[in-house]
Amino acid sequence: MKRFLFGSVALMAAGWASLASAQTTIELQRFFGACDAEYGSVTDVSAAVGECGIITALVNKFQADNPDIKVNVTTVEWPGYDQLNAQMASGAAPDVVSMHYSAISDYQSRGLLDPVDGVLAAAGVDPAAFTDAGRGGVTKEGQMYGLPFDNWTMLFHVNLNLMKDAGLVNADGTPILPKTPDELYAQGKQFTEKTGKPYLVQILANETAAYARVLYTFLQQQNSDFFADPTAIKLNTPEAAAVVGMLKKIKDEGLTTVNMDYPAAVSGFINGDGGIAINGTWLIGDFVAQSQQEGTALANGYTVYPIPQLFAGRDATYADGHGWVLPHKERSAEQDAAIAKLFKFLADNDYHWARNGHLPAVKSVFDMPEFQNLPHRANIAKIAETGTALPAAVMRQFAIQDIIGEEVGAAVNGDKTVEDALSTAETRINELLADL
Amino acid sequence: MAESWRRSQWRNGLFALPFLVTFAAFLVFPLIWGFWLSLHKVDLFGPGRFVGFDNYVKVLRDPQFRQALLNTLIFVATTVPTLVALGLFLALALNHLTRATAFLRGLFFASSVLSVTIVTLIWRIVFIPNDGLIALVFDHLGWAQIGFLSTKGWSLFSVGVATVWWCIGLPMMLFLAALQQIPVDHYEAAALDNANRWRVLTRITLPAIRRTVLLVAIIQVVMQFQLFGQAQLMTNGGPAGSSRPLVMYIYEVGFIRWEVGRAAAASEILFLIILCAAMIQYVVATRNQEGV
Amino acid sequence: MAPRTYRPEALNTSKGLFVLACLLAVVAMAPIAWIVGLSLKDNKALMLGTEAVFALPYTLANYVNLIGSSQVFGWFFNSLVVAVGETVGVLVLSSLAGYAFGRLEFPFRRTLFVLVLFGLAVPEQAVIIARHQMFNWLGWHNTHLGLIVPGLTSAFGVFLMTQFFRAIPKEIDEAALLDNTPPFRLFWRVMLPLTLPAQATLGIFTFLHAWNDYWWPLISATKKEMFTLTVGIASSQTNFAQSEGLGFLSAQAVFASLPVVIVYILFQRHIVTAVSGGAVK
Repeated sequence: MKRFLFGSVALMAAGWASLASAQTTIELQRFFGACDAEYGSVTDVSAAVGECGIITALVNKFQADNPDIKVNVTTVEWPGYDQLNAQMASGAAPDVVSMHYSAISDYQSRGLLDPVDGVLAAAGVDPAAFTDAGRGGVTKEGQMYGLPFDNWTMLFHVNLNLMKDAGLVNADGTPILPKTPDELYAQGKQFTEKTGKPYLVQILANETAAYARVLYTFLQQQNSDFFADPTAIKLNTPEAAAVVGMLKKIKDEGLTTVNMDYPAAVSGFINGDGGIAINGTWLIGDFVAQSQQEGTALANGYTVYPIPQLFAGRDATYADGHGWVLPHKERSAEQDAAIAKLFKFLADNDYHWARNGHLPAVKSVFDMPEFQNLPHRANIAKIAETGTALPAAVMRQFAIQDIIGEEVGAAVNGDKTVEDALSTAETRINELLADL
Repeated sequence: MAESWRRSQWRNGLFALPFLVTFAAFLVFPLIWGFWLSLHKVDLFGPGRFVGFDNYVKVLRDPQFRQALLNTLIFVATTVPTLVALGLFLALALNHLTRATAFLRGLFFASSVLSVTIVTLIWRIVFIPNDGLIALVFDHLGWAQIGFLSTKGWSLFSVGVATVWWCIGLPMMLFLAALQQIPVDHYEAAALDNANRWRVLTRITLPAIRRTVLLVAIIQVVMQFQLFGQAQLMTNGGPAGSSRPLVMYIYEVGFIRWEVGRAAAASEILFLIILCAAMIQYVVATRNQEGV
Repeated sequence: MAPRTYRPEALNTSKGLFVLACLLAVVAMAPIAWIVGLSLKDNKALMLGTEAVFALPYTLANYVNLIGSSQVFGWFFNSLVVAVGETVGVLVLSSLAGYAFGRLEFPFRRTLFVLVLFGLAVPEQAVIIARHQMFNWLGWHNTHLGLIVPGLTSAFGVFLMTQFFRAIPKEIDEAALLDNTPPFRLFWRVMLPLTLPAQATLGIFTFLHAWNDYWWPLISATKKEMFTLTVGIASSQTNFAQSEGLGFLSAQAVFASLPVVIVYILFQRHIVTAVSGGAVK
């Protein structure tokens, strides 16, 4: 009740303030959830934890620093594109929107986004300050269409306690990870025999994204240029068959948990149901917190690595990321200036965003001692170089991911042969892309 | 219905006018507009290109559409009879009013108040391996685990169970309301004849609520053809598209692939299918009976 | 509630059926008890395993967090306005139209009724994009009206009311019609009260439908001040809430469902008591 009263007073105060001074308002729309109850008035960004907490505190701090600017935040359900499409269709798009790099090409190619180069220049943000993966993620046809905010990838989250039981830990305490598919089978078998638990904790049910990200990763490692032509995918290849065959063998030999959906896989790993979880950067914070609690399956025994290079070719991991884009609309000069300030503030504070597990999009953060002191960041820092997105011109990446997930999933589950699944996926994706 | 004193008058139509105007403006008109969209290659954001019936051809040729159609037909053919039979059973069992039956009515209805997000959240926790309720029971009995949400065949079944649980409230209430309206004297003759319960049910009760059975069946056919949220949230249509219903197909085509024209074409096809299904039921059920 | 008038033995529910219904009730109830239990648990404890539900301690923290976001009350208000508006609108339009189709004669009655039945078969997807463009043009997005109006086209209400009006025995209005009672008075004084059970059923389901509606409010009410409770609550979920905030999510579910449960309890009495003895015999 107290909080509610306080909230109303604050709201009224804000109302008066906006009447009193001519504020510039920016409509900002984002996912990442709402956590006003906990962070509604927090301006100390370093005290915030988690995606939601950090972004909320960042905006609060920006507001406190810039009383002449009002950032009106609307939170939408992840990923928010249905709502954004509806707004764009009715000419009511917000000023700044959170967007996955993989979705930008759809909107950019349709003329629905404004480039941000001018805004960045006005703010004095040098495009070269961003990592290649970040900058590449938002660059289309030579222009930047968003402020890069982070990169994320799938990772190997390791339960060291179980790995010790399996004899898969080096003398220095680091886990022994496979370097080839055969090593993976052998280590997986050893793990399963010694611990009686599956080696991998994978999201195999009610899921498409994880399959697609893993496939992209291992194709990139084989230098398979499956999107040499961004309007036509090539999946009917020995490289793709090798990857899907490996995923199927992992399942057939009982080296992985089965039937787990996303939440089950997360809690399964926390409960020690398997040795290595293949899941995203965003979970590092939660898993670290678990490992710091006595009595949990991860207690003092958690670490994390990029997906290891299993194929001779190059070290690569499929990466996507979050950026801030500007829907195409008329804006006043004051609004442009306010957005420039906001973008500079977000870029300057990218370290804080990276605290929850995402990789920073700003190069200099990697050199900050605070960042290097964050748990396990040294292990995964190389993703800044190895992280690879799909070619910038590939459209409908969400739809493609769904098709790949469905078909690869069918092959792994044994509902289709590997060849059948890959050629069906190729046909479906190419029909989709040919018809745009 | 056409008694001489019940004269046909334009004035009488005024009662229906407010609804008919709303109906025409906000349903019929958008439906026609939707048909117009279905003849175009168009996304959400701008003028499209007229392509005639191209979208229809593409939809009908799409194996995913055909699979989704088959899934939907199977789903409707299994859930609707279940809902009708179970709803009727509950209504009969709870028809006599006591405190206990009132409580149970409320209970069976309670699931209907939940939104689809919550319904699927609940049933996920029932069906999911390891932590799930069924998994615990199977574990206890020493049975082999089944991936209810990730095995072909089982996934659509699981969506069906959640759907029946969610939707059972309306059939039960409609049947209850109908049972209340059967005049008591219909039963008095049966009581004199010492007819057994089964004869009372088949000779008196069921014929008296014929109209409601039809009503419930048609409503459920229409509703279950539009299955979407449960499948999307529980199985994401998987595995291998084996639980993807038509509306999910439409959503994916329209909102993820941005092919609004083709999604509109698929919607019009769905509309025709539902219309045919409802008409067939109606015609079959009212044949040899007095008119509408 | 007084017991109903005497009914012959054959009509009374058999004990066997009742026991079976009780068993089914336990099965139907378990998930609801489960979610209420989850809503009273700390999220961190649930992350370790949902068995935690069966052990102390319980907490109201999830509800406090929910109410702590001041926007919840605004969303609640929007949902209430929309659900009540839609319910009243549907009841009025459907009763009038149901009376016309069920008991009166007018030119093209059958044709129009069949057309309305066709409307029953229209899936939301077939009209939603066109309707979005239309409301765009009317400037109705981000208004309560824009959220209420689509629900008013429900052919279900008209179908249900027509069936009920038709089921009322002819003798009841025959006398009145012979007396040349104006149709509206007959409707208002005699017929409408008899359809109370149908009104209650339709009212509950319209309210429920409006309260739980998601897709249309999502794309029509895009300003956060206009969010309904379903959209607002979904928007508050952090990216991976299912694993990280099961308790919070459950609290949201319970909180969002409460008003509907209350509405049901209020209406349920009418369903059972409305059609009693005298009038319909």
